[in-house]
Amino acid sequence: MEKKLDVSMLEPCEPLEQTLAAVQRLETGDYLRVIHRREPHMLYPLLEKGGFKWRCRETQPGRYEICIWKQDDSVARAAIDAERG
Amino acid sequence: MLNTANLSLDQAPPISIPFRFFVTAPLFGIAAALLLLFKGPELFLTRWSPFTLGLTHLITLGFLAMVMCGALLQMLPVIAGSPVPRVVLVGTLCHLMITLGSALLVHAFISGSLVGEHSALALMGGGVIIFFIAISLALWRVENVSHSVIAMRLAVVALMITLLLGLLLGSGLLGFLGFGNIAALVDVHLGWGMLGWVGLLLVGISYQVVPMFQVTPEYPVAVRRWLAPSIFGGMLVWSGFSFMAMQGLVDTRVTSVWMSLILAGFACYAVVTLRLQRLRKRRIPDVTLSFWRVGMVSVLLSALLWGVAQLVPAVEQDPRYHLFLGVALLLGAGVSVINGMLYKIVPFLSWFHLQNRQVSLMCMSVQVPNMKQFIRDRYARMQYRLYLASLVLALASTLQPSWFSYLAGMMFLGSNILLLVNLSLAMTRYRTTNAALLAEGAVEKG
Repeated sequence: MEKKLDVSMLEPCEPLEQTLAAVQRLETGDYLRVIHRREPHMLYPLLEKGGFKWRCRETQPGRYEICIWKQDDSVARAAIDAERG
Repeated sequence: MLNTANLSLDQAPPISIPFRFFVTAPLFGIAAALLLLFKGPELFLTRWSPFTLGLTHLITLGFLAMVMCGALLQMLPVIAGSPVPRVVLVGTLCHLMITLGSALLVHAFISGSLVGEHSALALMGGGVIIFFIAISLALWRVENVSHSVIAMRLAVVALMITLLLGLLLGSGLLGFLGFGNIAALVDVHLGWGMLGWVGLLLVGISYQVVPMFQVTPEYPVAVRRWLAPSIFGGMLVWSGFSFMAMQGLVDTRVTSVWMSLILAGFACYAVVTLRLQRLRKRRIPDVTLSFWRVGMVSVLLSALLWGVAQLVPAVEQDPRYHLFLGVALLLGAGVSVINGMLYKIVPFLSWFHLQNRQVSLMCMSVQVPNMKQFIRDRYARMQYRLYLASLVLALASTLQPSWFSYLAGMMFLGSNILLLVNLSLAMTRYRTTNAALLAEGAVEKG
């Protein structure tokens, strides 16, 4: 199931903070879709250390969507794969 | 765009490296304020007085360069995706040498000690050269060269030119040139230091930090692509004409035309920055924004004043004009932006390092403070007001030294003491949370 978080209007460090808090609440089968105005490179090492996987794409200039799921959660990953065709 | 795709957190230097630079800056600010308090009106008679030269270098080397060097060592992996080689050794050496070199140089200016001056130049030269080599290696290894990286590369080249001119001037080898030509060479040294090193670095960093921290739209692509290289090119031509003017080969008006173009570039940068800040998406009060606005207005004021002086010779020949311009540039443009940035960089680094520690230890029972909790906004705003008062009073001191200079010194002293307290409190908060995380992590492992 998709959870959505829009951090595009927040200033550092709120986007990272809110994203890290939101991923802790993910249940099996859930994934988080984060909407951001920049690609959050500083988030990735923290996600990796926390045992999460992610995919990022720029949907339009200045708008990024990052999908995050638990690395051992195949259901969530399948849902993202299906959604992206 | 931040380019940290290949960044490992382990490549970033320990937080103590940038922190030691940041905490040293207000100490030099305090020294500058004490000089103002003790020498007061004497400092505002002419830009050539030994005390005025001492004050200038306390600000440019002790405050501005100190923070800029510390920030670059830490931020290069983040902004450019390229870590500085041997960063702990480089950071430790540069900090020691630049701190001692700045202090000795100011002492040499004031005391006239030749031995002190040579030791200062050796230390300062050594520190800056080590910094230059390490930063250049990191900047030239960058894979995706952004407009910010280009501006930073040009800024470090400008730092090197500033240093070489400074060493040449300080060595006493140029005595045969006569005061008139040395004064012109000092202007070239000053130009490369303030407009090249401080100015270009500021421009390059702004492309990243203004949209990121102040939640504004991006700088226009044309500005990002052309501004820094054009300013740098303009500086080279201006320097060439300045040397030719010393030989009597060209009229000094030619150098003025080139400087006008350079200053027009900085005025354009200030206007665009102010406009972006007006368009920011989240309109909440922010002390860094206030500092930046003062900085940008000071850039515009300096450019305007310089333009007036070119048109009205009486202004150009008045020593007060040079002092006013110096205060507007150093204290107005330089100190304000750097001071404002410290209120973002220090909490951000503290938060980021702690967050990283927490995730590494998987220790969620200790709460990491958010950025706003490291420095209390009320104290930061109080410090901003003291700084602003010191700026206005220092500008007034150039016109009426005996009325305003001691007051300016008092305000600048208060401002720097409070800055030191604010930064120290943030660092203490970092240390206590870090210790709590480590202790809790050890218990959970055990």
